[in-house]
Amino acid sequence: MSANSKNDLLLECRGIDKNYNGPQVLDGVDFSLRRGEIHALVGENGAGKSTLIKIVTGITNRNGGTIVFEGHEIPVEHSKIASEKLGIAVIYQELSLIHGMTVAQNIFLTKEPLLAGLPFIDIRKMNEMAQAMIDKYGFDLRATDIIDRLPIAQRQTVEILKALSNKASLMIMDEPTSSLTATESERLFKIIRMLKAEGITVVYISHRMEEVYDLSDRVTVLRDGKLVSVLEGEEITPAEIIRLMIGRELTEDESHHKMVKKEGDVVLEVRNLCSEGKLNDVSFKVRKGEVLGFGGLVGSGRTELMRAIYGIDPFDSGEINYLGKPYSPTVEKSIASGYGFVPEERRLQGIMGGISITGNVGIANLDSIASPAGFVSSSKELERAQEAISILNIKPPNPDHLVGNLSGGNQQKVVVGKWLIRDLKLLIVDEPTVGVDIGAKEEMYQTIDRLSKEGVAILVVSSDLPELTRLSDRIIVLRKGRIIKEFTEGVVTEEEVLRAASGIVEGGAK
Amino acid sequence: MSVSAIRRLILTGLLIAIGIALSIANPTFLTMDNLMTLLQEASLTGIVAIGFTLILITAGIDMSIGAVIAITSMICVNFISHTQLPAYIYIPIALAGGCAIGAINGFFITYFKLPEFIVTLATRGILAGLALIIAVKDEQGFVQNVFIEDEVFLSLGETVGPVYIVTIVFIVLAIATQFFMKRTRAGTNIYAAGANPTAARLSGINVDRTLIGTYMFSGFCAALASIFLAARMMTAMPEFGIGSELDVIASVVIGGTPFTGGVGDIWGTIIGTLFIALIKNGILKLGLSPYIQPIVIGGIIIVTVVLDVWYKHHAEKKATLAARRKAMQKEVAA
Repeated sequence: MSANSKNDLLLECRGIDKNYNGPQVLDGVDFSLRRGEIHALVGENGAGKSTLIKIVTGITNRNGGTIVFEGHEIPVEHSKIASEKLGIAVIYQELSLIHGMTVAQNIFLTKEPLLAGLPFIDIRKMNEMAQAMIDKYGFDLRATDIIDRLPIAQRQTVEILKALSNKASLMIMDEPTSSLTATESERLFKIIRMLKAEGITVVYISHRMEEVYDLSDRVTVLRDGKLVSVLEGEEITPAEIIRLMIGRELTEDESHHKMVKKEGDVVLEVRNLCSEGKLNDVSFKVRKGEVLGFGGLVGSGRTELMRAIYGIDPFDSGEINYLGKPYSPTVEKSIASGYGFVPEERRLQGIMGGISITGNVGIANLDSIASPAGFVSSSKELERAQEAISILNIKPPNPDHLVGNLSGGNQQKVVVGKWLIRDLKLLIVDEPTVGVDIGAKEEMYQTIDRLSKEGVAILVVSSDLPELTRLSDRIIVLRKGRIIKEFTEGVVTEEEVLRAASGIVEGGAK
Repeated sequence: MSVSAIRRLILTGLLIAIGIALSIANPTFLTMDNLMTLLQEASLTGIVAIGFTLILITAGIDMSIGAVIAITSMICVNFISHTQLPAYIYIPIALAGGCAIGAINGFFITYFKLPEFIVTLATRGILAGLALIIAVKDEQGFVQNVFIEDEVFLSLGETVGPVYIVTIVFIVLAIATQFFMKRTRAGTNIYAAGANPTAARLSGINVDRTLIGTYMFSGFCAALASIFLAARMMTAMPEFGIGSELDVIASVVIGGTPFTGGVGDIWGTIIGTLFIALIKNGILKLGLSPYIQPIVIGGIIIVTVVLDVWYKHHAEKKATLAARRKAMQKEVAA
């Protein structure tokens, strides 16, 4: 068949290797794209999807392997701008558009049409050209709209137009629907099919299996930096993709601990929590010594829920009971009454990189290390830091070490350590092991286990399914701000969680 | 109506209201002489403010503008005192000096990735000191005020009809800059570099070169204002321009160019400049102490910025809520 012949391949990667000074992120991956196909790239977090894309688009360089695009070999030393010139475009979620400028200005940035023979931009012609492109694809946009006032979905369309104006033959979309509503997503799928009809190849990265299933001509599945399989046509079913993505033998090995019902006192009860556009009628209880896991896709409202409970973001309606009493959270109150919070983005929200371990630990414990007059006792501060270092085995065990220079795992330990040395009753951890090596991961799990044995109620948000099933006594799955499924007893498989998170629930609740 | 249009309308209304109030309070306010002097004042600040507007659009800051004014006037005085060179030779040299200072600022900011504030504050100190060192001295080594007698130079301080030359230059420069910003690729690049440098770079814009060019223009504008200032005063002093940053920043900020970059234009700056000049003139015309001028201007800056932040917060909240509601309605409909 001619479609399989080499000449019809737009991109062919062979044996791509990549390591970031250490662990092998990509290991001999083959990846090929046919002209005018919609090709889904799937895999769990950390499977190597983003790295592969970064290599194709020239953001990072590969350590080995060959890439041929349109018959030309792409050198190892490649750049983003060079790849754009070749016709490779990435549609970002959060976005490479210039605020304050119009749609037309953004589409034609650096290639604005000029008045004949003059160095002046022909604004009318630029707007006409942009409008012509918009009309051709039937988009709901005006060339003169200012970017800032457009919703995310329309900004994405502008990105696509910008890529089209660059004569892109390959468009890569990374989780393009993560911040879109259902209707907006539908519209995007229509656009993607239109691009396909024009002969443009679209690489589609998504965690949402039903989308992948609906759209794709072929699916490449990666796992742990290796190519698992390339599916085509009939072979593409959500269940098969999930099976390949997870890949491990789903037996009751020791890392899958059995979920158990905990009978302790209720520490936190949330009733009918609503927050417009984020959370919809969320209710749950967590008991003393219980680890309650929260599964769901990115954007399903898990982080928003944690922030609301901790008191960072206000919510519209609903009640929270903490230790049996009605509670309206603010961060200060939460800290004072025994909450701990390990946020999702460690570098942005968790640590102060330029400050020592002592300083980072001290900041959450000023109440116990400062005198009533407000002076900080440096000996008490040091004591606290040493306590945290020894409990969590932070390396190097030097309280003066700058946190920014620690490894990811040890940074995370410092964030956790801030809370451990308090009288902790409820610990919230959001993606506790992102960017953490395997050894530190296991230590983190042990810490969480130990805390739960000591009677701390723990809420864990994780997109890492093995992690979620490994840690949790109970798992709640959120989808679009709602609780869609709760697993309470026995052994839950990663597959079951992923199915629920993707909206493939027995009984057809979608 | 857009936010900036509303803002301009309010400011213009305020300008007229204050103008009417002043002409009632003091009949000498509404004389041709006073109005032209007011415009001359506004133009001197305004020329510097044009360059500063571009700097703010790149999300930068230039603290060296006042010191550029000082050093430029000292360069001119040295040419006048020690050489026989004609004005049409040393004035361009002095202007080129302003550009060169801007290029140095831009170089350190882009090449070494240093914070704009630190670099330009350092050059401000260096230039202010250099201005004193190269100032013309008497036998005891005290700074001597040189009275400029070069007629070509002094003619720059004169009028065409009732209008001062500096006012004409200000208007022409303002129109040309506005056109440059809105209608050339280089102008578009300045907006892009300020709004989102990463996106600008990925779109193929040479952000470093754009920034260096912008700082050079700012230096040029300050040097140009310095020459008109010296021509008007018929002398030059090494403290010329030191402290003028307050008026310049106030004019630009009131005109609606925020510190966050990517937004702003020259029309706003013109109105802002007129506003500040009117307030300063009004304080004098009401017989109040000129010492309260900086206090009032400082207060105006705070009030404007507070209102801006408050309004922006409010508008954003409203917009996100509206967008969400719309999305949800659509979802329900579908």
